[in-house]
Amino acid sequence: MVWEALQPVVNWIDASAFARWLGQSEARIAALFVLHLVGLTLWLGGTLVVGLRLLGSGVRSGPVANLSRELAPWRTAGLTLALVSGSLIFTGGAVSYFEGAWFRRKMALLLMALVFNFTWFRTVANAREGQFGEWTNRVTAGVALLLWLGVGAAGRAIAFF
Amino acid sequence: MPVAEWLAALEHSGIGEAMRESWFPYVEGTHVLALALSVGTIVWFDLRLVGAAMRTRPVSEIYQGLKPWMLTGFAVMFATGALLFVAHATKVYESQVFRAKAALLLLAGVNMLVFHLTIDRRRAAWNEMPVPPMAARVAGLLSLLLWLSVIAAGRMLAYDL
Repeated sequence: MVWEALQPVVNWIDASAFARWLGQSEARIAALFVLHLVGLTLWLGGTLVVGLRLLGSGVRSGPVANLSRELAPWRTAGLTLALVSGSLIFTGGAVSYFEGAWFRRKMALLLMALVFNFTWFRTVANAREGQFGEWTNRVTAGVALLLWLGVGAAGRAIAFF
Repeated sequence: MPVAEWLAALEHSGIGEAMRESWFPYVEGTHVLALALSVGTIVWFDLRLVGAAMRTRPVSEIYQGLKPWMLTGFAVMFATGALLFVAHATKVYESQVFRAKAALLLLAGVNMLVFHLTIDRRRAAWNEMPVPPMAARVAGLLSLLLWLSVIAAGRMLAYDL
């Protein structure tokens, strides 16, 4: 029902002159896909490095919060690039993307992954040393990485299923 | 021509058939998601070499911490990439985009090798410098540019088949 409520917005986006202009050229969409991949490589790679630290691996010295802060600007840049390019790809074919079951699953997973990231994951990653136990760190990292893996897998499924 | 026969044999092998019939989406999905593990980790080492991230950490810490993940990531990339090649061997081999991607991969490898054989030999002298010497920065920047180009070529390859 949330999806139905959004339908008029999607129709409006799809009918806009900008969406038509975007969708017309395969080269424009291809360039956006490249930016989407570059953005997600930075974001997922950065999340992986912070996640590995929480799991006790990778770049390990010093408090997690330090590492998290050091990676933040590049991770944010990656996420921003992925979200902006993704929104533009969607705009280029809004109605047909919106009908897809895998697109909807991806959006639901993306929402969960983003909410988890900006609430709990961020809290644990930026906590002072020892504020959370080892297992809280591990489970937090595991859940975050699984959610992002799900977002990526659902994203690929859009193209195939 | 023996290459053409060899490519045809690959394509018509059991693996080639299975790829086209059912494995392709999963192998391709794994190839794309393993970007986070391969390029997604090497990018952080490159950013450290350039002096753009984690400046207060020794270069060795980033290298040692990420190396096993990087190697795992690239192993997955090559294995899945080889399977994707087999699925459409003849077409892929003839694609100019594929040839460009192969050349870029080779350049990335040469850049890494030159780095390890030259400036990296004297790493002890600059391991803790927030901004490493020019030669290391050039290697890091080249690596970043080459890997981003590899991603772009990989994505464009999908349009060229």
